[in-house]
Amino acid sequence: MPGFSSGGVGGGVGATTFLVGATTLFFCFTCPWLSEHLSSVIPIYNAVIFLFTLANFCMATFMDPGIFPRAEEDEDKEDDFRAPLYKTVEIKGIQVRMKWCSTCRFYRPPRCSHCSVCDNCVEDFDHHCPWVNNCIGRRNYRYFFLFLLSLTTHIMNVFGFGLVYVLHHQKELDTPGAAVTMGVMCVAGLFFVPVAGLTGFHIVLVARGRTTNEQVTGKFRGGVNPFTNGCLRNITHVLCSSQAPRYIGRWRGRQTVEVQPPFLRPALTEAQLEAKVLDNGIQNDRHSTRSKSSLDQMESQSADAEAPPPPKPELRYPGLPRADTEESSLLTEAPPTPSMYKYRPTYNSPGRNHTALTHPNKSSRQPSYRSEPSSLDGTTVVGGGVGVRRGGGERGEGPGGPGGTAGGVLGGMSGYSLTGRSYTSYPSSLVLSTGGSHSSSLRSAHTAHNPLATLHSEGTTDTSYKSLANQTPRNGSLSYDSLLTPSESPEFESAAHELSPQNTPLQGYTSPFLSAQIAQQREGQLLQGSATFSSPHKAYLRAVSPPLPSSAGPPETHYLLQHNQDFSSRPPRNPSSSSSSPGARSLEPPVSPSTSRPVLANHTTSKPGGGVKKVTGVGGTTYEISV
Amino acid sequence: MFHNLQELRHSASLANKVFIQRDYSEGTTCKFQTKFPSELESRIERTLFEDTVKTLNNYYAEAEKIGGQSYLEGCLACATAYLIFLCMETRYEKVLKKIAKYIQEQNEKIYAPRGLLITDPIERGMRVIEISIYEDRGSSGSSSGSSSVSGSTAR
Repeated sequence: MPGFSSGGVGGGVGATTFLVGATTLFFCFTCPWLSEHLSSVIPIYNAVIFLFTLANFCMATFMDPGIFPRAEEDEDKEDDFRAPLYKTVEIKGIQVRMKWCSTCRFYRPPRCSHCSVCDNCVEDFDHHCPWVNNCIGRRNYRYFFLFLLSLTTHIMNVFGFGLVYVLHHQKELDTPGAAVTMGVMCVAGLFFVPVAGLTGFHIVLVARGRTTNEQVTGKFRGGVNPFTNGCLRNITHVLCSSQAPRYIGRWRGRQTVEVQPPFLRPALTEAQLEAKVLDNGIQNDRHSTRSKSSLDQMESQSADAEAPPPPKPELRYPGLPRADTEESSLLTEAPPTPSMYKYRPTYNSPGRNHTALTHPNKSSRQPSYRSEPSSLDGTTVVGGGVGVRRGGGERGEGPGGPGGTAGGVLGGMSGYSLTGRSYTSYPSSLVLSTGGSHSSSLRSAHTAHNPLATLHSEGTTDTSYKSLANQTPRNGSLSYDSLLTPSESPEFESAAHELSPQNTPLQGYTSPFLSAQIAQQREGQLLQGSATFSSPHKAYLRAVSPPLPSSAGPPETHYLLQHNQDFSSRPPRNPSSSSSSPGARSLEPPVSPSTSRPVLANHTTSKPGGGVKKVTGVGGTTYEISV
Repeated sequence: MFHNLQELRHSASLANKVFIQRDYSEGTTCKFQTKFPSELESRIERTLFEDTVKTLNNYYAEAEKIGGQSYLEGCLACATAYLIFLCMETRYEKVLKKIAKYIQEQNEKIYAPRGLLITDPIERGMRVIEISIYEDRGSSGSSSGSSSVSGSTAR
C-alpha cells in the first residue's frame, strides 16, 4: 500500500487525466447505446457517480487538511537545553508521546504529524497523497475516503457496462465504439486493482479508528489504540461529524478590549498572607510563589504542561522599559534560579560538541532535547545560547556548520563546561523518568523536595531519543513522522543504525511496563553511545561508563521507575533491527541492570575542584556545581 | 513640548503569557485543562478562571458533537456536491462564532479589569488558550516630562 501511494507528483495529474479522459470516452461511445437499448437511467446513474467522485476528489485536493499554524515565539518558553524532545500524555490510560516539532515550535498533539513535503504539521495526519498532491488529515479525510469509495464504484460501473456493451457487439468489435469501449475497459481494469485495494485498506482503517500513519508504523500492533471508540462510532466520526474548522487563513477580528490599569486583584488567601508576613518583602514572596507553586503543579499533574522557568521579561518583551518602580524591577530582574537548574544544560554540552563534529554519534546522545541537531527535522545544531533555538526552523544548517563555534560558545559560558562531569548522569536518569517535568524535578531535587512525587508526575519516560524512533525505517517500515514522505532526518536514521545496535523500534503508545523497559534501554544506550564520543570530555565520559556493582543497579532503576508496574529486569538482548520484520513491534526486553549502573557513576567521578560546590541529590548521588 | 498630562496616565504592558494546554485524557476531542496556573494566582480568582475554561470546553463539546444536525449537514453537502459550503456555515463555525463572542465578553467583563487577556484558542490551532498577563507600568510622566523640559531649556 505505501509503495502504491508514493507515485510522485506527476501521478496526480496523470491519474486525473486517465480518470476524466476514460470517463468522457465512456459517456460518448458506450452510453448512447446503453441508454437506447437498456435504460436511460444508466447514463444518469453513471454521471451522478462520476460527479460525486470528482467533487470528493476536488475537496480532497484543495481542502486544507488541518494545518497547524506555527507557534509564536512567546509560546516556547523553555531554553532549548532544558526542553525535552518528548512530552508524555495519558489518553484513556495509555501513554502517548508528543514530540517537539522544531519547525512549528510546539509539541505535536496526538495524531499530529509533520509532513515534510508540505512542511506543515497536520492534525490527525493520515498520509501525504501524491495523487491529489495534498496531505490527508482531519479535515479532508472524509472526502478522501468517499473519493476512494466512489472511484471504486465508478470503475466497476464503467467496466461492467463496458462489458455489457462489448458482449452485445461481439461481431462488431472493429467498430470505433467497441474498440474504444474495450480500451476504456482495459484502463478501468488496470486501475481497479490498486484502487480497490486502497479502498479496502481504508475501510479497515476507518473501522478500527486508525490513520494510515499509525497502521503502517505499527503503533498499535502490540497494544491498544487509545483513539478508537468502537467500530460504529469510528465510522460515524469519519462520515458524520461536522466539518472541522481550519486554523490557518482565518480572519482575525481585531482585539477591541483594552487593558488599562489599575487592575483588580483577588483577595489574598490565608496562606498567602502568612507568606507575606514571614517574608522579607514582595520580591521573595513572588519568587517563592512562582517556583514552589510551579513545583506543586508538576507534582500533582500527570499531563503535559511544563512548569515554566522563571520568566525573563527583558528577553521576551524587549520593549519593556526599565522604569525605576519597585514593580518594574521585579519584572526586569530575572529571579535567581537554583544553581542546579541553571547548570542543567551542561549535561548536553559534551554531546553537543560531538554532534557537531562527529556526525554518527548523534543518535545515541541522550537525553533528547529540542535543540539536538538533526533530531529535529534536520535543523539547527549546537550552540550554547538561547538564540540557537531560534534558528531551529531553518533546514539548511547541517551538523558540521556551527560545530566550530559550539566549543567556543560552550567554553565561554562560565561554569558550564566544568559542571559536566559528575552530576549529569544523575539528571539524565531523572530526566528519563520525568520527561516534561524535568526542569522542575531537578529544582525539587535541589531543594530536597520529595523527588518521588515529581517522578510520579510523568507516567513514563518520555525523553525517548529520536534515534529510537527513527530506527524503524531501517526495516523498510516507516517511522511515525516520516510516513510515505522523505524522512525528516534521514541522516539521523543512518546514524542510529551505526551506533545503536540493540535498540527496539519505539512505539509511541506503549504500556507503562514497556516504557519502563525502554527507559532502561535508553539509559544504557546513552551511556554506551556516549563512550564513543571523541572529545575533550572523553575523560569525563570514561569516568561515567565503567560499570558499578550490580547491586546498585536494580534499586536505582526501580526507584526511577517506581511508578511503573511489573518492572522486572531481564537479560539484555541484542536484536538487530534489520532482523525483525518490517513493522514488527514485539515487546523488547529491558536492558540488564548493568546498563543502569552508570546512573550511579557520579559517585565515583566527583573530583572537587576550585570553586566547586557539592550538592547532594536524590538517592544519595552527589554532583558538583562550579560556583 | 511634552504634555505631562498624557504621560501621567497609567499604562499597561505585556509582562508574561500563560498557556493553558489541552486535556487529552479523553482522546483528541477538544478540551482544555482546568488546572489553575500559578502565574494567575495573584491576578484572578480560581473559580472565575475555571468557569471560563469549563464553559469553553462545553462549547467545543457541542461543536464536535456527532448527532442529527451534523449528519444532515453532511448529507446535504454530499447531495449538492459540496457547493453548499459556499453559502452555508457549518455547525462548527457557528459554535466558533459563539465562542469568540463569549471570549470577547469575558475579556471585557472579567479579564481586562484584572490586567489579563484571553486569546481565542483557534488562533493557536486549538492547542492552547493563551492568557496574556499585563503589568501596570506606573506613571512615567513626571520623570520624562521634566527631563524633556530640562533638555529643551539646555538647548
